[in-house]
Amino acid sequence: MQEKPELPWEDLFFQLEASTAEASDVAQKVYGRYTRGAKLIVDSLNIPVGLTPRETVWAINKTRLYHYLPTRPIQECYPIPLLLVYALINRPFIFDLAPGRSFVEYMLNQGFNVYLLDWGVPGPEDKNTTFEDYVTEYLYRAVRKMLRVSKAKEFSILGYCLGATLSTIYAAIYPEVPLRNMILLAAPIDFSEKPTGSMAMWLEEENLDVDRLVDTMGNVPGELIRHWAKMLKPVENFIGAYVNLLKIMHDEAAVRGWQAINRWVEDVIPFAGEAFRQFVKIYFRGNQLIKGDHVIQGRKVDVGRIEANLLNIVAEYDHLVARSQAENIIARVSSKDKTMKVIPSTHLGIMASRSAKYKLWPEIVDWLVQRSKPLEQ
Amino acid sequence: MSEEKSSEIDPFAQMIQFYDNMSKSWAKAMTDTVTSESFAKSMAEQMESGMEVFSQMRRQMGDVMEKYLEQMNLPTRKEVVNVAERLTRLEMAIDDLDAKLDQVLDKLRSRD
Repeated sequence: MQEKPELPWEDLFFQLEASTAEASDVAQKVYGRYTRGAKLIVDSLNIPVGLTPRETVWAINKTRLYHYLPTRPIQECYPIPLLLVYALINRPFIFDLAPGRSFVEYMLNQGFNVYLLDWGVPGPEDKNTTFEDYVTEYLYRAVRKMLRVSKAKEFSILGYCLGATLSTIYAAIYPEVPLRNMILLAAPIDFSEKPTGSMAMWLEEENLDVDRLVDTMGNVPGELIRHWAKMLKPVENFIGAYVNLLKIMHDEAAVRGWQAINRWVEDVIPFAGEAFRQFVKIYFRGNQLIKGDHVIQGRKVDVGRIEANLLNIVAEYDHLVARSQAENIIARVSSKDKTMKVIPSTHLGIMASRSAKYKLWPEIVDWLVQRSKPLEQ
Repeated sequence: MSEEKSSEIDPFAQMIQFYDNMSKSWAKAMTDTVTSESFAKSMAEQMESGMEVFSQMRRQMGDVMEKYLEQMNLPTRKEVVNVAERLTRLEMAIDDLDAKLDQVLDKLRSRD
């Protein structure tokens, strides 16, 4: 049998075929990774969060008070309940992101009796709810109910972001309530300094007609707030977040955590119109929480009347709440027992980073355990 | 051989590397831009013009819708909102009564 003569272009043909196959292989892999990434992002918007078992113990309007079911026998639990108060922006499931990454779950396992106040999503009928109404009409009643349900004589409160501001106003105007411990996380309270590089500049009088915004929109749309928050770090938020997903796509647990955080970031709720107007005018521009001239229902908002044990936690790299806005409260309160911690973290990382569970949360527990007597004592 | 080569070519890895190398300088430049006074002013102007259009549209549509609902003998948005606000106030009043009742019951129990 005679061999076929080797043609001069045959080698070139095989090389071309191999290159095409290789390019196709790469393209397929890229496409596969791209579609998987896109699917993970889309799926993240519906990923289950807030899975720790709980019961609703109180509700008014959209506000709910949840009690998390203890994971330890009741006789092993600390008798002072802990109330978590989140901000009016985003949702409070940041405290309960996913099993293994849940602050609520962690505190339950440490023997705390945990309650969470969820403000709900404001509708058009809530546009007249003021910032102070959240304290006097909702927080006040929720605490009353929690004390009733838990049969506790004292309680601890942990406020995060604007939730910390609301908790501070609450403690300032109701000095008679049995608030034993107050923990503030990234609390925007003192606006005497408005550092550049923060959202402060956008809220100044010359840059925002807050009356026009509220009168036009009713409630401030969540999309606008999300846009503001993301625009402060455009590269990190619009590109970096997705690059991070690409980096961790091989790690299921990390992807699950990323999805939960992404859902939280995207799930911004409207800000009740009057509450926003009041926060901007009275507390942000007027700095009334520090000046102490403001009066709510005949009660002076004077942080100097706060005597509860105070743990003030400030995130060093917080771009939403500047350090100066969060740390000055410590010098103003009358508490004999007060501690300030500056954590090398961000506004979100303080609660949601993977390291929070191993660094910050144990510190909170240590502080709280010393100030929450167990039942047998 | 083809597999070995293709595993070396990873456009995403290159993209990530590029991002990691460049992000710090970009991020700072972008953050400086968006937090500058001029950016804040331009954003304020854009928002102002957006609100102008939105408020006109909303007013006109609201008027039309309100008249239509009245003719159809249906409650308007404002009326539904009023009812919802009153419901919330009622909920609060009941909650206060509930709390007072608890106090009274506690006192009665302590007498026994």
